[in-house]
Amino acid sequence: MRVIDRLEFVISEALTALSRNRLMTLAAVTTVAGALFLFGGLGYAYYRLSHYADTIPGKFRMLVYLRDEATRADVEKTAQQIRKLPGVASVAWIPKDKAWERWKQEHQTGLTEGIDNPLPEGFRVLLTDLKQSDQVVASIKAIPMVAPENGVKYMADEANFVEGLLTAMRFFGMVVGGLFFLVAGVLIYNAIRLTVLSRRLEIRIMQLVGSSRLTVYVPFLIEGMLQGIMGAAVAGGLVVGSYFGFGWLVTNHVPIPYTPAPFPYAYVFALLAGAGALYGVMCSMLAIRAPLKYR
Amino acid sequence: MGAAFTTPHISFENVEVKYSDIVYGLRGASLRIDAGEFVFLTGLSGAGKSTLLKLVTKEVRPTSGRVFLNGRDISHAPPRHIPGIRRQMGIVPQDFALLPRKRVFENIAYAMRAVGHTRREVRERVPEILQRVHIAHRADAFPHELSGGEQQRVAIGRALVNDPPLLLADEPTGNLDPGHSWEIMELLKELNRNGATVVVASHDMMVVDRMSERIVTLDQGRIVGDQLPAASLQELLPLEVAAVVTIEEKVTVRMEDARH
Repeated sequence: MRVIDRLEFVISEALTALSRNRLMTLAAVTTVAGALFLFGGLGYAYYRLSHYADTIPGKFRMLVYLRDEATRADVEKTAQQIRKLPGVASVAWIPKDKAWERWKQEHQTGLTEGIDNPLPEGFRVLLTDLKQSDQVVASIKAIPMVAPENGVKYMADEANFVEGLLTAMRFFGMVVGGLFFLVAGVLIYNAIRLTVLSRRLEIRIMQLVGSSRLTVYVPFLIEGMLQGIMGAAVAGGLVVGSYFGFGWLVTNHVPIPYTPAPFPYAYVFALLAGAGALYGVMCSMLAIRAPLKYR
Repeated sequence: MGAAFTTPHISFENVEVKYSDIVYGLRGASLRIDAGEFVFLTGLSGAGKSTLLKLVTKEVRPTSGRVFLNGRDISHAPPRHIPGIRRQMGIVPQDFALLPRKRVFENIAYAMRAVGHTRREVRERVPEILQRVHIAHRADAFPHELSGGEQQRVAIGRALVNDPPLLLADEPTGNLDPGHSWEIMELLKELNRNGATVVVASHDMMVVDRMSERIVTLDQGRIVGDQLPAASLQELLPLEVAAVVTIEEKVTVRMEDARH
């Protein structure tokens, strides 16, 4: 009972502080939201993009697909032909049955039920020398059993592009997100300092009557934590909004098949709220260290 | 039995407080205040009255010398002990320090909640405290609706939330007219009669003289006088001397003389 009473007192003190400092709270929450949106949104985009990057062949890799009618003997013969090409390091067979099983596992949609395996037999070819890649592509395309259309999938440019994009996102996230975080920290710090100023009489009374140091400190820590969590909630909303906005944009305006992955709401919100709360508490601790010393 | 044989409520042993190389708060002050005493600290501004109080409340640390509270040396108590020390006393500030947006009841309740009392305890004890300081009839008023004297009563009431055996008041009548000043002193006297040790820093000599209590005079950080109430003097002085001392007489005796 006494603990609940204590909690109620410190939380009500924190809420009073928040309501007294509305403008500064708004500024702090907005900036925390911006910082967390950049970190959270870019972080999520980065995660998705790097996941995608893993699925496309790299600069030293190419995928080769055979005609639908290719038999096991055709597979073995074509593999030997490719291995003999100069600039090729290795050739690995991707059986169409295994590829189909993997695809179904990754996508887990009921749409594949009752459909015959549409995938062709394929190879993963590793190169030793990038300079010979064009030559290798041309030679493979000339093999009769290789599918005439999209038989060779070599995406060095795409790989470069995605790699560049990931680097840019890392840089942007670190620099701009870092700056936002710094500004958010200063704003939370200032908001708490202003609260201390506006509540100096309450603090003085608490200190006069001998309130424990925790009772004096905790409302300010809760205030900072709430600012961080509110910022995180806004950032979470922005991340979700951007995610679906991006999906809508791609679906309606870009002529490529796009299936949005299910959005991990709980995970993203929990992560953002945790980061916001932790950051808010840290900034508050810095802000109250000196002015709340018992005197 | 003489007070010298019991543990004093507060004692200062050759305390020096240096605010800077040239500014002294106290210069070697020694003083003993026993439980149940009513003591005035008087002197001009800057004489060291408030510094003496602040040494007890731990707002100031002594540069040298020692301060004891209930026999415990608190001179260099670490900051984490300060809340515990403060709960052993009630502090009445000169400026009342009332929360303007809270009613009288809420002002006391806030202080009680801040030291960990439950809502139930608050409901039970606040009316009792308001009765003790004779302000129960204004429980629903806001501070700005009260007179200076009434505001000071609320501040004294707030100082009682821990039911402390010691009350420290720094210029409690500094902002009051003579009528209200006297009311406040009467209230402090009443609390003292009920067992609390009361120490009041004041330069309001009219009130101080009228109270007939022990008066410790400070000047430039030194204790230059310790005048006991006439009634006590009659107990301390030899019979033949006491015969010529009356209640109305103001006898200033050096502290050392009074003690020996």
